[in-house]
Amino acid sequence: MSTPDDQPILRLDGEPTAPRRRRRRRSASLPAPISTPALTGTPAPPLVRAPAPATVAEMAPAAPDLPLPVELVPLTELAPAIAEISVSRRRFLGFGLAIVGGLTGATALSRLFPVFEETSSAPPPIVPAYDPVGKAWTFVVDSASCIGCGLCVVACKEENAVTEDGRFARTWVERHAVAADGTVYVDSPDGGMAGFPPTSTAPGAEGATIDAAFFEPRLCMQCENSPCTSVCPVGATYKTEDGIILVDPRRCIGCGYCVVACPYGARYLTPAAERAPNDAPGVADKCTWCYHRISRGSLPACVEVCPVGARKFGDRNDPDGEIATLVRERAPQALHPEFGTRPRVLYLGPSVEEA
Amino acid sequence: MILTGRTVILAGRPIPIAPREAADALTREVASMPRGLKIWFAALLAIIAVAVPAALVALPPGWEVLGTSPTVEWGILIVGYVFFAITTSGLCLASSLGTVFGIERFRPLEKRHAVLALLCLTTAFGLIALDLHYPVRMVFGAMLVPSPSSPMWWMGVFYGIYLCVLVVEVWSMFTNHPRIHQVTCTMAACTAIVAPATLGAVFGVLVARPFWHGPFTAILMVVSAFLSGTALLGVVFYGVHRLRLAGAERAASLAIPAIRTLLGIGLVAVTLLVARQVIAGLTSDLASLREATDALVAGPLAWQFWGRVILGLAVPLLLLALPATRTPTGTFVAALLAIVGVFVDRMTFVAAGQIAPTSAAGNVAAPFTTYSPSPVEIAIILGALAFVALAYTLVERYVDLAESDAHAAVTLPVPSLDRIKALLSPRRRAVVETAVAEAPVTPAPVTPAPVTPVTAQPTWGPAPRTDAR
Repeated sequence: MSTPDDQPILRLDGEPTAPRRRRRRRSASLPAPISTPALTGTPAPPLVRAPAPATVAEMAPAAPDLPLPVELVPLTELAPAIAEISVSRRRFLGFGLAIVGGLTGATALSRLFPVFEETSSAPPPIVPAYDPVGKAWTFVVDSASCIGCGLCVVACKEENAVTEDGRFARTWVERHAVAADGTVYVDSPDGGMAGFPPTSTAPGAEGATIDAAFFEPRLCMQCENSPCTSVCPVGATYKTEDGIILVDPRRCIGCGYCVVACPYGARYLTPAAERAPNDAPGVADKCTWCYHRISRGSLPACVEVCPVGARKFGDRNDPDGEIATLVRERAPQALHPEFGTRPRVLYLGPSVEEA
Repeated sequence: MILTGRTVILAGRPIPIAPREAADALTREVASMPRGLKIWFAALLAIIAVAVPAALVALPPGWEVLGTSPTVEWGILIVGYVFFAITTSGLCLASSLGTVFGIERFRPLEKRHAVLALLCLTTAFGLIALDLHYPVRMVFGAMLVPSPSSPMWWMGVFYGIYLCVLVVEVWSMFTNHPRIHQVTCTMAACTAIVAPATLGAVFGVLVARPFWHGPFTAILMVVSAFLSGTALLGVVFYGVHRLRLAGAERAASLAIPAIRTLLGIGLVAVTLLVARQVIAGLTSDLASLREATDALVAGPLAWQFWGRVILGLAVPLLLLALPATRTPTGTFVAALLAIVGVFVDRMTFVAAGQIAPTSAAGNVAAPFTTYSPSPVEIAIILGALAFVALAYTLVERYVDLAESDAHAAVTLPVPSLDRIKALLSPRRRAVVETAVAEAPVTPAPVTPAPVTPVTAQPTWGPAPRTDAR
């Protein structure tokens, strides 16, 4: 080490650590060493400096013939009020201003070069020919027709790269089985991915014979009054112009607030498994009504593969479409309207009476 | 602070930093500790030694080691975060009576509460960082893109402000800036009401969870905060009293009775709110709320709930009410039971909200979800508690936490005698002037009377030790 071991190399009590070297200074109010008398227990000695040169001409006598465009004056002469503030407070203020300036600069830069896309302005449509305005996408699920084959679950997992772990599903099928004494047992082995065995697998009723049952396919309701979008602390989940709720996997922090907030259990946090949608494990995920398909004029994967047509999807605003006809003629209902979320998946059949 | 090549001189104390001298100094220091302190440190370090690998394992992408599932996404790490966050707020609430309102009885709490509050809030943030899957994104995402519709965002804002205020408060406390300390204590007291209320709102806005939904969650959170903070102060000040730490005389005579009052208020308030919660839940029109409250009172959570009510509320109230147990030891036991009760209450609260499964996918347990913390989660929670205990013990040992004599007193202007005389009627003025002429007395200056420490032998506790600590 260049200094002997006992020589102070850093002092926070206002004393200089090394013999002062001649330095060119531009103004008299250079930041002083941090003076914290309380830490050392003694009052800070007054800082003794050579009188600061008032002008650059005095500092650079070797080149007196250089014309200077500006005569530099110490800051304390420009703003006499600063001289009345103590040196330590000046530095504290300067420090604070530096921090605030840094944060302001960072915010300004982030506005100029957006790290995250602004969600207030509508993002450009995925497909140039797709106009989201005016679309009223609606799902109608017929729980009387569903046979519990589970093809929809498999198709969804393949289409969207959802993990095959049965606990995590964007869409799943539940069997509501009525036992002899009238109790309803709900089971969904692996989300219904492999169909349903003849006896119940419901917790607490394993192996029970089933007298009567119906199947209820479940998926994200894309609620009009969605609780999940309002509770996200970083704005990672948002609603598109055509009413589909999506999650930005780059912004999600995985707090699970939206998962807890969903009354229909449609959301989950993607596990670190063999695959994950968008290759983004650990973020919130849910059914998106295959937005990448419907914006290209296709149907969601689960609707395509359903062999009995229990799932129907379309634009309710199309007066001749299947959905508008169904809504008009059979009046499908939402599940659990008491939550007040106004889901856009409407159900027909026994699901409605039970809910 | 002075840094040389060989030592750091901190507050006049030279601490060697060259490796050999530092090791020798550390060995000497440890050898000089009393045996009880050595055992305490060893136990805490052992817990932390288990917790640190657990925390490292739980870092992204290791979140599968946690016991959460899609139906119970918020587990014991969230419980720990809520517990430490509300304890922080409660500490400032409890001691605001002394720091903000200047009530002399609560003065002894002033330094210790700030240190404890800062430690608890740091631990809370550490726990939430371990629970979040992408904590770094939260730091930038929450600040650069505000989400004012989210109560969790507001909670982050208020607790962030709270952290900054606490840092300034602790700094001003130890660098003798009484005016700044006064201002920051007032700001901390205000934030200590708003922040836990917002934390309650995080739960209270969720329509999907009837047990949490509603306005009373925020109120319960603030009152629980008050109880938790007061109980922690009760535990700490019993240690101050028994171990004769800095400021022990005022601790026994002023702090512990003051804490007893606050603890009693907190216990009564929490008991009433819990009673309301149970009665309103059981008689509710919402079937889901009835089921959740039934699960709490008579279902899978019943042991924890009634254990908490009896041991965490009823027994402490009894200990505080009965004259025979109104001793520092009785207050300590009551405070300890109360704070454990608050933790158990947070556990049952978070569990009861998620007890009704919203989906059956994967054959979740029905009709009630089940959640048990994984060993990693338990290790992290114990490590968090041990960290707070260890850090606070170090601060208690090496930093002077006795009350400072200089309080930023609020000095009222002293009206002069002439001004008073000018306000009187002439007849009365003549009376006053005659009285003043007969007994000239200069008006005493209005300064806070110096507090004399109680020198009388307390009626409880061991005889004071005369040897140095």
